[in-house]
Amino acid sequence: MSASIEIAGVSKVYDGGVRAVDAVAMDVRQGEFFSLLGPSGCGKTTTLRMIAGFETPSSGAIRVDGADITHVPAHKRDMGMVFQNYALFPHRTVAENVAFGLRMRGLDKATIAAKVKAALAMVELSGLEDRRPAQLSGGQQQRVALARAIVIAPRVLLCDEPLGALDKKLRQQMQFELKQLQKKLGLTLVFVTHDQEEALAMSDRIAVMNGGRVEQVGTPTEIYNQPTTRFVADFIGDTNIFRGERVGPNLDVGKGLILALPPSEMQGTGVLSVALRPEKIRLIPRAESAAAGSSAHGIVENTNFLGGAVLYRVELAGGHRVLVQQPNAGTSRLFVPGNGVTLEWTPADLVVLKD
Amino acid sequence: MNSTAATRPNGLALFILPSALLFALFFFLPIGLMAVMSVLTGNPVVMPKVAFTTRHYVRMIGDPFYLEVIWTTVRIGLVTTLVALAIGYPLAHWMARIKSRTGHALLLMAVLAPMLTGIVVRTFAWMTLLSDKGVVNETLMSLGLISQPLKLMYTETGIVVGLVHIYVPFMVLTLTGVIGRIDERLEQAAENLGASPLRAFLEVTLPLSLPGILAGSLLVFALAISAYVTPILLGGFQIMTLPILIYQQISANFNVGFAAALGIVLLVISLLLVVAYNRALGLVSGQRELQ
Ligand SMILES: Nc1ncnc2c1ncn2[C@@H]1O[C@H](COP(=O)(O)OP(=O)(O)OP(=O)(O)O)[C@@H](O)[C@H]1O
Ligand SMILES: [Mg+2]
Repeated sequence: MSASIEIAGVSKVYDGGVRAVDAVAMDVRQGEFFSLLGPSGCGKTTTLRMIAGFETPSSGAIRVDGADITHVPAHKRDMGMVFQNYALFPHRTVAENVAFGLRMRGLDKATIAAKVKAALAMVELSGLEDRRPAQLSGGQQQRVALARAIVIAPRVLLCDEPLGALDKKLRQQMQFELKQLQKKLGLTLVFVTHDQEEALAMSDRIAVMNGGRVEQVGTPTEIYNQPTTRFVADFIGDTNIFRGERVGPNLDVGKGLILALPPSEMQGTGVLSVALRPEKIRLIPRAESAAAGSSAHGIVENTNFLGGAVLYRVELAGGHRVLVQQPNAGTSRLFVPGNGVTLEWTPADLVVLKD
Repeated sequence: MNSTAATRPNGLALFILPSALLFALFFFLPIGLMAVMSVLTGNPVVMPKVAFTTRHYVRMIGDPFYLEVIWTTVRIGLVTTLVALAIGYPLAHWMARIKSRTGHALLLMAVLAPMLTGIVVRTFAWMTLLSDKGVVNETLMSLGLISQPLKLMYTETGIVVGLVHIYVPFMVLTLTGVIGRIDERLEQAAENLGASPLRAFLEVTLPLSLPGILAGSLLVFALAISAYVTPILLGGFQIMTLPILIYQQISANFNVGFAAALGIVLLVISLLLVVAYNRALGLVSGQRELQ
């Protein structure tokens, strides 16, 4: 039966004094696809290894279905884990690898054989039972690792960048299959990745980590549309970040650019950062006049054709550089470097950031 | 054999010539001579009229004394190997898995330090420890644990103790290399699947380190059965082993032919083990060839 996980103020300081994880608090709900997303070295693996029981938190507690497991040894935690390098047993066949966890649980031979068969069928590896891991392709090894972890019907499935070693095509296919399997089995899955697209595509919720801390926890749309910190806004997708002084209902970001703040943010004084996604900006040929606060003139500096869209870098009159993304709909005009353009946006699309 | 390489030798091939010569001169020549001597009636250098004979081997097989010597040598070799493995494996595992660099350096030094002293010196040290009035017996008697001194010197036990001390580093170094290459995450994967740390070790690390166990054992066994100084000093000629017998045959009896035959027996025992080692390795790590 799938379980929920509660990570309560967990920190991990390694022997050398490295604070790899710093007061992380988050809840993973039962049956949820939960991703830990962040740049290299931000503490994702360490967090996962603490959940699995391979590292002991320096402080804080980890609870599964409300029961404190902080000091329960790894082999008694009943969690499945898919390692980044798969960690398949090289001296055992595919079937023996998958059977391992069942054997440790003392099941009888017939039951084990039946379960192994079913698990291999589920990951579409039937017929490869007697191969050794070294005789499998990367994608097949990945499936064996997955089968080995789910055959024990773990309370929680932990995956550390399980798709990292696969090429793009296979990676997308495995993303899809893993997601389907997770939903079908109702698994609670904690998924570590540094690939934001992967996290956005697969997760029910994402925790964005940075420097050992959790910056924001939310659904993919929340993370993308309402990043709460400058780091999250910057890390997820392309974005324009402006920092400036409040002047009445506006933000003065210098170099002659004034941004009208969204209606909810008009009160207050002081310094503020805001983010504006490139696709929230419209690009039109140079207009007669620009409405202060929600538009600006500029010159296209360079273009980046993405297929379905075009990404422009525009230099505004005052010197700010802004990314603008326009859909490549046959009707809309494509600009080339040197074109004079006008940018337009809706103040409500500005997202106010904590630093 | 590549025919183009054979007809057009490139410059690089010349570089292996010195080592090939050295190998032929100091390895194949002596062994070949020894093999020839073992089937001759005498030394052809001093006695021009020699004939072919099998009498040295017949003598060996016909006399229980020589068979006993062979068996004693093998027994000492086996016990030494097993004890060295029992001591060396945990040490090697510790060394391969220790996180701290300083810790690793200290362990390595501890393992290597004894090798900096000569075998003779180390063996004399054991004599002062193991003799009837040695440190071990004196201590045990003063503690009242024993009333008579234990017979430690001039026994097989004494020889094994001395040999283990000398050859444990070989075992440790061989094993450390192999264990160090086993991914720690394999053991963690086993634990994650419900194996206790001990079970994970038995199911994963131990089988994967078998090549190292075999190689280390082979090395220690071959060194132990050909050891000479330690069995003489700690066995005091009370325990007869093949190397001691060979030396006696040459220096006291001047029977070079019989000594050569004994030497061949020692060599064959080692060679048989190498063959068995390769067989065993093929069985336990079948996946290697399949790759
Ligand atoms: N065993 C260890 N001893 C000391 N420091 C460690 C250890 N493992 C990790 N660290 C440090 O802790 C920090 C977090 O490491 P962690 O492996 O959790 O990062 P990560 O987010 O998984 O990164 P990546 O995406 O590169 O895998 C890093 O600064 C790393 O150098
Ligand atoms: Mg990692």
